[in-house]
Amino acid sequence: MTHSTWNSSGSIYLWWSRMAAMTSKELLQLARDTLLVLAVLYLFTLDIMMAGGVKMDLSKATVVVHDADHSPASRELIYRFQQPYFQLGGEILDQKEGIRLLDQGKALMVLDIPPRFQHDLIQGRPTEVQVRIDTSNTVLGTLAASYSGQIIGQYGFDAALQRMGLTAEGLAAVPMFVDRHRVWYNPNQKDSWFMSISELLTVITVLAMMLPAAAAVREKERGTIEQLLVSPLTPVQILLPKVVAMTLVILLGTALSLTLVIKGIFHAPMKGSLPLFFAVTAMYTFTMSGLGLFVSTMSRNLAQAAMMIIMIMMPIILLSGAWTPPEAMPVGIRQAMYISPLYYYIEVSYDILLKGAGIGILWDSLLGLSLLGSLVFGFGVWRFRRQFRS
Amino acid sequence: MKPTRIKALAYKEWREILRDRLFLSLAFIVPVSMMLIFGYGIKLDVENIPFAVLDQDRTAMSRDYLHLFMDSRYFDYKGHVQSERELEPLLADSKIRFAIIVPPNFQENLKAGRPVAVQSLIDGTFPFRTSTSKGYVIAINNAFNGKLLAGFISRKMGVPPGQAAALVEPVKVQLRYLYNQEIKSLWSIAPTMMMFILLMTPPFLTALGVVREKENGSIYNIYSSTVTRAEFLVGKLLPYLGISIINVIILWLMAVLVFAAPFKGDPLFFFLASVIYVSCTTGIGLLVSLFARTQVAAMMITVVVTIVPAVLYSGLLVPIASMDAASQFEAHLFPAMYYTDIALGSFLKGIGMGQLWGRVGALLFYSSVLWIAAYLLFHKRVRT
Amino acid sequence: MGQAALVAEMPVYPVVEVRGFCKRYRNQVAVDSVDLSIQPGEIYGLIGPDGAGKSSLMKAIAGVLSFEGGKVQVFGIRIDSEAAAERVKGRIGFMPQGLGLNLYAELSVEENIDFFAQLREVPPGLLAQRKRQLLAMTRLEEFRDRPMKQLSGGMKQKLGLACTLIHEPELVILDEPTTGVDPVSRRDFWAILAELLRERGITALVSTAYMDEATRFQRLSLMYEGRVLAAGEPDQIRQAVPGSLVEVTVEPQIEALRRLKAKYPQVEAVGPVLRTFVDGVSSKAAREQVAASLDDLSVEAIQAVDSELEDAFVALLRQRKLAGQPAAGAAGTPLAEPPASDEVAIKARGLTRDFGIFRAVDQVSFRVIQGEIFGLLGANGAGKTTVIKMLTGILPPSAGQGQVAGADMRRARQAIKEHIGYMSQAFSLYQDMTVLENIRLYARIYAVPRSQLKQRIDWVVEMAGLQGVEDRLAGKLPMGIRQRLALGCALVHRPRVLFLDEPTSGVDPIGRRRFWDILVQMARVEQVAILVTTHYMSEAEHCDHVALMYAGRIIADASPVQMKQALQQEAGQLLDIATDRPLRALKALEQAGFAGVALFGRRIHLLAKDPQQARQQIESRLTQQGISLLDITPRIPSLEDVFVYRVMAREKEARSQ
Repeated sequence: MTHSTWNSSGSIYLWWSRMAAMTSKELLQLARDTLLVLAVLYLFTLDIMMAGGVKMDLSKATVVVHDADHSPASRELIYRFQQPYFQLGGEILDQKEGIRLLDQGKALMVLDIPPRFQHDLIQGRPTEVQVRIDTSNTVLGTLAASYSGQIIGQYGFDAALQRMGLTAEGLAAVPMFVDRHRVWYNPNQKDSWFMSISELLTVITVLAMMLPAAAAVREKERGTIEQLLVSPLTPVQILLPKVVAMTLVILLGTALSLTLVIKGIFHAPMKGSLPLFFAVTAMYTFTMSGLGLFVSTMSRNLAQAAMMIIMIMMPIILLSGAWTPPEAMPVGIRQAMYISPLYYYIEVSYDILLKGAGIGILWDSLLGLSLLGSLVFGFGVWRFRRQFRS
Repeated sequence: MKPTRIKALAYKEWREILRDRLFLSLAFIVPVSMMLIFGYGIKLDVENIPFAVLDQDRTAMSRDYLHLFMDSRYFDYKGHVQSERELEPLLADSKIRFAIIVPPNFQENLKAGRPVAVQSLIDGTFPFRTSTSKGYVIAINNAFNGKLLAGFISRKMGVPPGQAAALVEPVKVQLRYLYNQEIKSLWSIAPTMMMFILLMTPPFLTALGVVREKENGSIYNIYSSTVTRAEFLVGKLLPYLGISIINVIILWLMAVLVFAAPFKGDPLFFFLASVIYVSCTTGIGLLVSLFARTQVAAMMITVVVTIVPAVLYSGLLVPIASMDAASQFEAHLFPAMYYTDIALGSFLKGIGMGQLWGRVGALLFYSSVLWIAAYLLFHKRVRT
Repeated sequence: MGQAALVAEMPVYPVVEVRGFCKRYRNQVAVDSVDLSIQPGEIYGLIGPDGAGKSSLMKAIAGVLSFEGGKVQVFGIRIDSEAAAERVKGRIGFMPQGLGLNLYAELSVEENIDFFAQLREVPPGLLAQRKRQLLAMTRLEEFRDRPMKQLSGGMKQKLGLACTLIHEPELVILDEPTTGVDPVSRRDFWAILAELLRERGITALVSTAYMDEATRFQRLSLMYEGRVLAAGEPDQIRQAVPGSLVEVTVEPQIEALRRLKAKYPQVEAVGPVLRTFVDGVSSKAAREQVAASLDDLSVEAIQAVDSELEDAFVALLRQRKLAGQPAAGAAGTPLAEPPASDEVAIKARGLTRDFGIFRAVDQVSFRVIQGEIFGLLGANGAGKTTVIKMLTGILPPSAGQGQVAGADMRRARQAIKEHIGYMSQAFSLYQDMTVLENIRLYARIYAVPRSQLKQRIDWVVEMAGLQGVEDRLAGKLPMGIRQRLALGCALVHRPRVLFLDEPTSGVDPIGRRRFWDILVQMARVEQVAILVTTHYMSEAEHCDHVALMYAGRIIADASPVQMKQALQQEAGQLLDIATDRPLRALKALEQAGFAGVALFGRRIHLLAKDPQQARQQIESRLTQQGISLLDITPRIPSLEDVFVYRVMAREKEARSQ
């Protein structure tokens, strides 16, 4: 027996109406927090612009030369170390000076040409060039080793052919094969495309975890959660609107960032279907928000929540392939990666944005993402229900 | 500055931290677990690149050639395909990162001395991986070509195969990797991670600690007492600084013992430089806390000012040297870069104050600017 | 001799001198040209509702808030810069507003005191001595090692006081130290404060939202919306308001109330007594006027009494047209008899709740009928909030059963939630949203149909008197309006049962009156069952039924009238004593060993089995002390008398065990 003039249990319309009310409340609150809005705007625009300017390739690495031969042959080799990868940093007189320059970080590489270099070459005797590389930074070290190996190898090969009297035309008769590279999706290997998209995905991850978690902890700290708990709202109706609202904000920011920065400034091609990309982003945000909410249920105050979020978020960002090639990870971590939503999201995002992949190709990653999403969110709701029971 | 009052403030703060078990354990667990996960997890080496093969020749020679790829630790063979059309979805779905296409009549043409074009399709989305993979492919192709050429020369000129090989490759390269001989990325990652973790955690601890006091009103005890501004700032932050200094030691021990990274420098110099660095990053948190009124805002600003520079402008992933001018300039604005140099220098290069005084000076300057700014911005008589 | 030495050292200038003080936040004026002067050794009061500007003024005097206009001088030093403020801070103790907010939750009682002492550089020897004294006086000795967060509200405030006094400042500034504290703890707090200040000759500036605490001050300023309405000694202020107060006990009360309300703007029913303030006439004339308008009713008793400060404050605001009239809908609402209906709205049976080994609620049973106002009273930490949380489904009980709005608490939680309204202790609406946005949000959460939405929101705005502030942010509103907004939100779906947890804490008298007008209206007209907790015993008088909780149990459960009768049977007649020096008289009578001695406003109440004999004892005792007795009247005890007596009896029992 009920006295109320209307019955509010169960109907689907009511469910949606409550969701809509709570969602618009979340949006309203976010909009009133000027500092937060500014931070979000910054992350989606300027921050991604800055990231897009970062290059991950070897660029003008300083090479210093210890030339003990001073012959035309040695000079020719030296002049092959050119931009964009290298630049010559001058000649040194002894090995010690080279070490000193490397220590101070003033040079990345020392090229050491032995005496009688030209003489040996002409005589057909094997000769050896020494290259010392500062590998304390692995990326630079690896690239420098690879490029200098290529340069010296090509030089030796040219020298050998020349000595044997074989010209370029003569080569056609030699049984050799020519390497034809085709780089797809980013033919000019523009770092800005990769870096800006990577940064966008990172920003989405950070915000998707932090915004709903902060909103939830704030309700707890300010006591507004009590008023909601005694209302007919179910835990899902309390939590989901936070996720929906923040997802909307993130989608908006993503659209802004894609049009203004990634396409507008860096001219990355948007090959695939943007609706598909946004759908995936929504799904991903949903998942990460669930994770953030889960954290919020475990912490009494924001300080605790922040620490836990960092602890969960940083490995996810750094290990899922946002900035490093995921294939090289050790086996254990590569397996752990399969439960990281960001891993799937990164793959799918590049596949859609740069490669134009469609749903037919991506269904498995999408399946993984949605499974993870519902699992995490369900867990968050369960924790939320439990925390007020004790 | 009266030591008794500083002591009282620091002791109170320390007790509060001690009682918040979760916060306290996170303050230590977060850095350690980050170190472990990243130490084992971040590998910048390009290895295990998944690839597929389209062999249109199917001869002994094409198989020999392809085996060079399959057997390499840099590549991860995913299988053969039957047509070029099959490669596209595999690349688009990131199932493979590159593909080798051996043309028909590969063996026949080579044996007949006719040049052949082998195609490699490389995924260009991640330029660093692309150029490294390309380098590997070139190296393998060159090796195979060298063998072919040596065989050709030995047959044509009648020299023994060994000599022919030497003729083809007259200049050998002797690569000497300094500081990190085996190019273990772990060795360079461990010191860099110290930089990263010590940039990330202290500002959060500090900013939230101060803003919490502001938000719940107990800051009025400070406002209304005779404690000076400097005493408050120092006393309040000492415990957080202490936690971070303990973390410096823990992380250093982990780098040396767990990751077996060599430490060639002067421990005392490195420790002192680390303390200066930590006082820098704590200062960042302090400054944030003076602007932010709520903990949420403090958290967001801290994220903005630390995570992004920590990942991008610290030399962690992207070498500062290879950045363009604008990015390099930005990198110089953050303290992380200087400490990266100090950490790598102390660990791998064994250099000390003599070479690194400039970096230490920069950190010292940075730190003083932050603390002085905080001192000037903090008021005991407020407007609201 | 100590006193003499202090007197000799006393400065000749006023301790605090404020002229034309103005404070603005952005473009909002918080305090507007206030003057104030505090003499050495004085306890000066700032009385006024939340948002009157008390806190801003106190912070400025304590040197922690800058201001835009006027002059503030403390100890003869003009506070016009941060450096100047620093010069006086060593001689000041400041306790900001908020229950225990300036203390450190994780630290123990002793650690809190030690920290404040070290901050103020109290030498260890002196610290040990003062700490012993302060802990003994505040009776916190046995809780030395207990973390501050586990103290009750009253204990937190006593600890705050101890921390503020540990460096023996010459001036203490206490910002609403008693807000949110139950009546017994409040009395305790004041007694301790008075003693400490007197002993040490400390000057004090104290603010409060409770008008009945005015007696505690030698002089005070009555503040309202950033201005001083009146200043001076409490009696002066009371007497400066032209008019007289008449108390009348009359049957039938409803009819009498209707008539008086039609004629006089300030009429209030407190239990069986109607209190009427008649503007501008002498007490004799007022009594006659009231009697005349009730001539055909059976008047049991009628007398002109001294008005309390609260009456004077309300009259002042009314006469100066500063406060709005009661909401149109609620004005003249007859206080009908409790409902005849026997439809049970809330039923609790053996409700119990444990937190670890601590039993917060122990075997609580009661029932509330539809249309009834049920008051749940008790000291801070007695378990009231926990009971409400269990009944509203926020917290599952450890044992026991409950029924709310005809549904079982354990099985039909969802059904219950749709039929109840709830207002929690702390303001739990969204401060960064406007009034209308908050109401609309709750209307939609509670599924008010779209077709009725606008009409319902209009109803809430009108009922709660929110016209004119619809588009202001909830966080920027004065406390009284905020609480009405919260009530409006709780009522937007027309619930059958309403739970209110300390809804009027910190609200000014007029705001509280309007609030209760709405409650009475809802109960009587709409037949809503209301369960309410409050620390204002004058509000509890409005309840049809009251349950008194102590340490998790209900120790009394009856109507207010029955409760008072029970008290009289048990402890004797209540004597209401007026003297010229209430605080000293209080002490004298306490020492004489009377039962239930307590200060009520300026009067002292005590209970005596034999009133005649007691009268003589009192007279002789007071004469001995050189206090002149003005009047002794036997009275029907108020609920506050009941509460104070019952709780103090239990506390004494607990302490002696």
